[in-house]
Amino acid sequence: MNPLSQIGGNPVKTLIATAVAAVLLGACATAPLEPVGAAQARAKLTQLQSDPNLANRAPVAIKEADKAVRTAEQPEVDKDLGAYRVYLADRKVESAKAQAETAFAEDQRPTLIAQRESARLAARTREADAARGEVAAARADSAESKAGADQARGEADVAREAAADSAQQNADLKAQSAELQRQIDVLHAKPTDRGLVLTLGDVLFTSGQADLKPGASSHLEKLVAFLDKYPDRTAAIEGYTDSVGSEEYNQGLSQRRAESVESYLTGQGIDAARLSASGKGESHPVAGNDSAAGRQQNRRVEVIISAPRTAAR
Amino acid sequence: MNATSILHREPHLRIAIGLMGALALGACASMPPPTSNMQAAHQAIAGAEQAEAARYAPAELSQARAKLAAANTAVSAQRMTMAARLAEESQAEAELATSRSAQVKAETANDDMKRSTRILITEMQRSSGETP
Repeated sequence: MNPLSQIGGNPVKTLIATAVAAVLLGACATAPLEPVGAAQARAKLTQLQSDPNLANRAPVAIKEADKAVRTAEQPEVDKDLGAYRVYLADRKVESAKAQAETAFAEDQRPTLIAQRESARLAARTREADAARGEVAAARADSAESKAGADQARGEADVAREAAADSAQQNADLKAQSAELQRQIDVLHAKPTDRGLVLTLGDVLFTSGQADLKPGASSHLEKLVAFLDKYPDRTAAIEGYTDSVGSEEYNQGLSQRRAESVESYLTGQGIDAARLSASGKGESHPVAGNDSAAGRQQNRRVEVIISAPRTAAR
Repeated sequence: MNATSILHREPHLRIAIGLMGALALGACASMPPPTSNMQAAHQAIAGAEQAEAARYAPAELSQARAKLAAANTAVSAQRMTMAARLAEESQAEAELATSRSAQVKAETANDDMKRSTRILITEMQRSSGETP
């Protein structure tokens, strides 16, 4: 027999059943709402989940927080139960956020360490450079005091300046330096403390004359090519004679010869501002004037090619 | 005719009303104390103390302790459901204290590192300004 059909048949029974139903449904009489604070917890969690720095850094805690928030969001008539769930959700979201922030900070640490190390290294390098600079300055001072006389040092300077020159001109330091050396070799110039010195024997002039011999240009071609290639270098042309003839005459002759070389070079397109000519006469012999061979060596034109001025020194 | 006589005559109704009474009293019927929740809260607080929460997250730590104390009070008052919830809240709070302590420590370490880098750079700029 069906109890419901029995209830339906008796008015008193109906009354009681209605009362029972009312008690049972009493809890639901007011429509249950989402507990207060659940929305805020959800908003905090959403913010955490959409922060690119944090979203993937505490996956377990965020998942747990999400579960707690979903529980808190369920409509609940029991206000205490709702408040308890919201409280738990909120703490779990906060905890997940703190864990993500911690992981983020820890992930940044290697970069910060590297930055500090590079700053430390830079500081040390600077200190070392300063110390080295002082040492170099001290060394330069002492070197300067015995300057000039030291031929080896002069050669080193020229080589260094040649290297510095090519470094300034282009990035391809090695190739340029090698090229310069090749050019110097072709020129048969000697590096000295005055610069590169090219000695032209008595092949340019006939005896007693200041005009270039017809064949002289072949001896000067390489010099023209070199000066063309290295336009920041200047050349000092110096004429020398042997001691045959009066000193005054030799002075004038050496001057005129230097000038003819100069005018030949300008004729070949070398800027006159880069050139200077001077006569040294018979006063600077490189060999004895008592033999023909010695006198031949003394009759010469020297072209001193300066190293380009470097900005740093 | 009265309600009592109806109950006597209708066994189904008697059963239904009895069940309802059981449901209504269920929550209060001598439930055991939420021992495992309380223990978990206790452990979480110990963990937070280990993480130096007293220094780095003192507010959360004392909140966790207060919640656990309230849970104990609720147990004494036989309000076991309330005790269980308070214990769980205490645990969550203590875990937050631990997480926040770790965060503060990590961020402090990073800040220290950034500061020393900045000092190195500043000193370097100053010294390079002095020397020619």
